[in-house]
Amino acid sequence: MKKGIRKAAGSVVFLAGLCALLIFVSYLFLPKNNMAEFGMDEVTANGILGEKENSIDVLVVGDSESYSAISPMEMWAQQGFTSYVCGTSGQYLYLSDTFLKRAFEKQQPKVVILETDAIYRDVTFGGSFMNRLENLFSVFRYHNRWKSIGPGELFSSVEYTWTDDYKGYSYNAAVDAGKNEEHMNPTDHVAEIKELNEEYVAGMAQFCKDNGAVFLLVSTPSTVNWNYERHNGVQQLADKYGIPYIDLNLMKEEVPIDWTTDTRDKGDHLNHSGAVKVSAWLGKYLKEQYSLPDHRNDSAYAKWNEALDRYKKAVGQA
Amino acid sequence: MAVSSYYSIAYLALFLPIVIILYTVMPKKVRWLVLLLSSWWFFWCVSGKLLVYILLSSLSIHHGGIWLSLLQKERDSLMETAADKERKKELRSLYKRKQRMAAAAIAGLNIGILVFLKYGAFFGGNLNSLLALLKIPAVVSIPSLAVPIGISFYTLQAVSYIMDVYHEKIQADRNMGRLALYLSFFPQLMEGPICRYSETAMQLWRGERIRHENLVSGTQRMVFGMMKKIVIADRLNQFIKNVFTNNSNYDGTMTAIAVVLYTCQLYMEFSGTMDMALGCSEIFGMRMPENFRQPFFSRSISEFWQRWHITLGTWFKDYIFYPLSMANPMKKLTSRARKKLGNHYGPLIAGSAALFVVWLCNGLWHGAGWHYIFFGMYHFVLILAGNMTEPLFRGAAEKLHIRRESVPYRAFQVVRTAALVCVGELFFRADSLRIGLSMFRNMVTGLSFASIRNGTVFQAGMDRKDFVIVLIGVLIVLVNSVMKEKGIQPRKWLAGRPAAVRWAVCYALILFVVVFGAYGTGYVPLDPIYANF
Repeated sequence: MKKGIRKAAGSVVFLAGLCALLIFVSYLFLPKNNMAEFGMDEVTANGILGEKENSIDVLVVGDSESYSAISPMEMWAQQGFTSYVCGTSGQYLYLSDTFLKRAFEKQQPKVVILETDAIYRDVTFGGSFMNRLENLFSVFRYHNRWKSIGPGELFSSVEYTWTDDYKGYSYNAAVDAGKNEEHMNPTDHVAEIKELNEEYVAGMAQFCKDNGAVFLLVSTPSTVNWNYERHNGVQQLADKYGIPYIDLNLMKEEVPIDWTTDTRDKGDHLNHSGAVKVSAWLGKYLKEQYSLPDHRNDSAYAKWNEALDRYKKAVGQA
Repeated sequence: MAVSSYYSIAYLALFLPIVIILYTVMPKKVRWLVLLLSSWWFFWCVSGKLLVYILLSSLSIHHGGIWLSLLQKERDSLMETAADKERKKELRSLYKRKQRMAAAAIAGLNIGILVFLKYGAFFGGNLNSLLALLKIPAVVSIPSLAVPIGISFYTLQAVSYIMDVYHEKIQADRNMGRLALYLSFFPQLMEGPICRYSETAMQLWRGERIRHENLVSGTQRMVFGMMKKIVIADRLNQFIKNVFTNNSNYDGTMTAIAVVLYTCQLYMEFSGTMDMALGCSEIFGMRMPENFRQPFFSRSISEFWQRWHITLGTWFKDYIFYPLSMANPMKKLTSRARKKLGNHYGPLIAGSAALFVVWLCNGLWHGAGWHYIFFGMYHFVLILAGNMTEPLFRGAAEKLHIRRESVPYRAFQVVRTAALVCVGELFFRADSLRIGLSMFRNMVTGLSFASIRNGTVFQAGMDRKDFVIVLIGVLIVLVNSVMKEKGIQPRKWLAGRPAAVRWAVCYALILFVVVFGAYGTGYVPLDPIYANF
């Protein structure tokens, strides 16, 4: 019996030592700034880490649909509230969840938007577990930095300083016309949402509730990725958990997308002119619905006005 | 649940821990059932409804074994009451025929399923080519069939069971569950080892409790296997894929490097998976047969095949080579040949015929393609040539006063064998025989130092740092192999060291895998190579 206890204790100590080692090595491999040259992944989305503390009013998470359709700078210019798109290509919900929680470490957004396309990207146990492991021990996420990491960087302190002028939005003015055909044909069919995906959405909603933020589901226009079955699926989910849901695919008058001019890839994603339309309506809606503040004349937000000038120059609106 | 391989997170973090916990908390009597249901769950996760095939195999050998057993009992009781020797001989011969029919039917059913699923398209395609060549206006329709995971492995186990019952080496098992578990035990399902009923069935059935020592030792072996796969085999993947896929863009040196690296990758992947399988079995207190015994220390191709994929080699030896070479016509042939050609070359004639069949089957077992057949024939020719030239080499060495046991000569033999193996693996990996021959030509005629001098070698998917990590990984495996070759079991050796040393080695190995493993963004893990055979 004593021998058994000793062996069990030995195993516990061994595992504790392993955890300590992984924490230590994780620190070594952690990018010490949020720029690509420091080894940061998903630099644009992680630009939020460089934003001033408690300065973001609206946070957007989701896949490429989110960063193609929502331009925080448009909303800033028109409504004066701050927002950031932590969208990444092919984002799984566990990453949406990670970005959400990472953002809340420094920010207190009043509204959190999940672009719904990610809800239909099936989360696997393996992917979800690995993401948790990466969140716990960042060496699993950044281990490939062994090739580029310099000895001076290993022990330096972490300081995120970089911010993105587009605030996570991906500017793309290319036009690859789609067809103006109806892609939202009413049906009673419901596209199934996988259990693990549902758990993530419910978890994010609860997290926002616990942190005093409104959690909002938004489907941005896409003829390739969205249809009425999916709309029904998300509507059911939203009703089940009491989450407000806006499907811009059904709001053709409010957001008049012309698929011959407003898409960069035949209806899959919006281009800049599509994003301007979405951001104009969404900004107005958010401002009115959630009484978001106007910081445009607040000197504490001067950098946002500077970024807006650069943004306008880049998108040709100067 | 995405249990796709022994390296998947779902397997390591969910499936295996659940099985270990269930196995531990369940009473000893039903632990076999935990293993069986887990194995079927694993099979279902990988192959879904194709589970029906392994169930069919289990059912067939269960009933087939009982059928053979009944025939044997019937024969024995009739023999007891037989009046004279003549009658006994008659009965023996009659029941031999009956048993042979029964065994052939059951083995045939299992092999038939394998051939139909795995080789249907290959044979059908070749038949269509032949019909077209002969200008016969007929086309055999080739159905596209999904192949269940590990079918090449569990089919051989099923056949070995039936043949062992037929030869009365073992008693037929009336317990369907035990037989089903013998065929489908999850750690061995994907890539073997190909076990015999007498080796593993009772171990699996006993349901011994999980011991701390076994848990530690088994886990250590699994981590070592992960190192081979994730650090070495997966890191080599991109380079090998590039050079083999776009070979016309590369010179002979690059091809030669890719061939050597592929041989290394194949060994690391396969032996790594064996470490995962045997380590996992060890956790449950089971000893599975080893599949590798430091193959790259072999001094001849013949010896290589006694050290590489051992369980496949012994299966072919026991169930194809011996039955063929010991058949009466072969014995007669050997006897006649011995008189004319002497004691060395005489037996070689019949042996070579059996060897030819073995290597044809070996090539085909690896896959449905002419390059696999070529691979088998290549090794057949090398082994045959080795057997035939052995007296010549021995004589030459004596005349030249070369000590064949001297270190330089042994080193020469090891390097020569490794080089021959690498050439064989070129054809094994090539997408077709034509591409394999083209690559071989490129390798032989296009050797130069240009790709090393101009740095092309570091631009095909692996940079200098990748090569260094692979080298370190290979050195770790080499040290492990040298210890084993000297009769030291590394894990036993480690278990005898002070805790600080033990833990330091374990921590170092785990961190080596975590930091230098080729996983995450930018890496495509290598699919289990042997699981597809």
